[in-house]
Amino acid sequence: MPCDKDHRIAEELAGLLLDMLLRPEPPEIPERYGAVDSLQTLHSSLLELRNFLHAASNGDLSGRVPLPGYLGGTLKTLQANLRHMTWQTKMVASGDFSQRVEFMGEFSESFNAMVLQLDQTLQELVAKKTALTQANEELHKEISMRKETEAALRKSQEEMRRLAMTDALTGLYNRRHFNRVAEEEIGRALRYKRPLSVMLFDIDYFKRVNDTFGHNSGDRVLAMLARITREVLRSTEIPARYGGEEFIVLLPETSAPAAAEVAERLRGKIEEAVLQTERGPIAVTASFGVSDALEHSDAKPGEQILSEFVSSADRAMYASKDAGRNRVTVFGTEEPRCSESLDYSVDASHG
Amino acid sequence: MSDRKYKFSWDLLGDIVKGRPNLGLNTSIEVYRLMQFSFRDVIERHVGTEQTDQIFFEAGKLAGSEFCQKLFANIKDFNEFIKSLQETLRDMGIGILRIEEADMEKGTLVLTVSEDLDCSGLPELGYQNCTYDEGFIAGLLESYTGSPFKVKEIDCWCTGDRTCRFTAEIVK
Repeated sequence: MPCDKDHRIAEELAGLLLDMLLRPEPPEIPERYGAVDSLQTLHSSLLELRNFLHAASNGDLSGRVPLPGYLGGTLKTLQANLRHMTWQTKMVASGDFSQRVEFMGEFSESFNAMVLQLDQTLQELVAKKTALTQANEELHKEISMRKETEAALRKSQEEMRRLAMTDALTGLYNRRHFNRVAEEEIGRALRYKRPLSVMLFDIDYFKRVNDTFGHNSGDRVLAMLARITREVLRSTEIPARYGGEEFIVLLPETSAPAAAEVAERLRGKIEEAVLQTERGPIAVTASFGVSDALEHSDAKPGEQILSEFVSSADRAMYASKDAGRNRVTVFGTEEPRCSESLDYSVDASHG
Repeated sequence: MSDRKYKFSWDLLGDIVKGRPNLGLNTSIEVYRLMQFSFRDVIERHVGTEQTDQIFFEAGKLAGSEFCQKLFANIKDFNEFIKSLQETLRDMGIGILRIEEADMEKGTLVLTVSEDLDCSGLPELGYQNCTYDEGFIAGLLESYTGSPFKVKEIDCWCTGDRTCRFTAEIVK
């Protein structure tokens, strides 16, 4: 049986050790035990252990485990596990999803499940992104194809529209389109009481050109006249091929005398032009009729007004033919502005 | 020494599968340690403690270098190298390698080996004992990176810790 003194000392030392373990502030060793080295060592070790655990609980795993032996070794293992796990977490963060924790019981299972889930989710996201990228690319291709198709269709429609409006041989408007445009211009001129003239001209003795030089050469003559006409006219004036060798021009904002001057200039250019062919040169003339006799009538449809307007120019043109061809006649005057003798001898019929 | 008798070669290890058809590839750790500690004893008696540690370090380094060249020569990625090393050391019963820190730009590592072949379970001796392991790790890292490494054991089972911890630092 220990004596009372021994018992008291044992109680005191046990209390000291318990206080080291339990109290927020560690107790000092009573002075009377200051000379006991083993107690000093124990006190110092427990103090270091408290500090190590305090730092570790706050996330600082860099401290050195202060004790050897079982307790220190166990803490060292825990510290090593946590530090290794920190490294593994960094590796996972950098994209290495093969990391697995194998030493922390239930935590390991949760960590590994999390990494697996992350890996799987990331793979699914990558797969979805790939699929979306592919779909996007296909969509872009489809849009591009559709745009190309639409552009081709637009081009085709424009070409068809152009073909519907123009004469294939001369590139001028055809009669149908001219009539549509002319009706609009007539409406505008009548509405605003503005001058408007029409010029009709026909190649003299064109049948003889065809007969002598062939139809191909005749076609080339028609194309040449169209080119000369375009060169002489202003952009606001509207030329068209009206019939076989007959051409018509609408001249907005132009009175008959001014239109006659244009016609005269054009007549001169045609007369000067020579087309070289294998069978020899071809020179032609044309007879012109000009009119600004636009009669307004609410009772008449636009088509009829146009027909009468063109007829007046036609009459003037035939006056030119009758007067010897290669000249310009203004409707109403029936006096040719210019007259030249022609080399071609022809039938009495018009041509 | 030009006419060496024991220059290392993997061939010297022989064909273990053929040679041990009944006992197989493995033996007890006890036998391994018996050989290592008897070597230590005899060598120390011949050349002293410091030379003994140096010999064990160099032997470990040679082993680590050969080990790396034989098993990891084709691995380019460092993380892949570490992963393969961990698996191999575990599969061969050498120890459980874990990385605590790795900064290959600076050339520094902190790593631990648990259940170490050389020292886990040894009595508390009060000094670091894993000189062979230090050399082994240095040989591995030098062979893999092409640069020499200084490896130091900072915690050892023999000093009362349950896990051996090593620092490795590239020698510039």
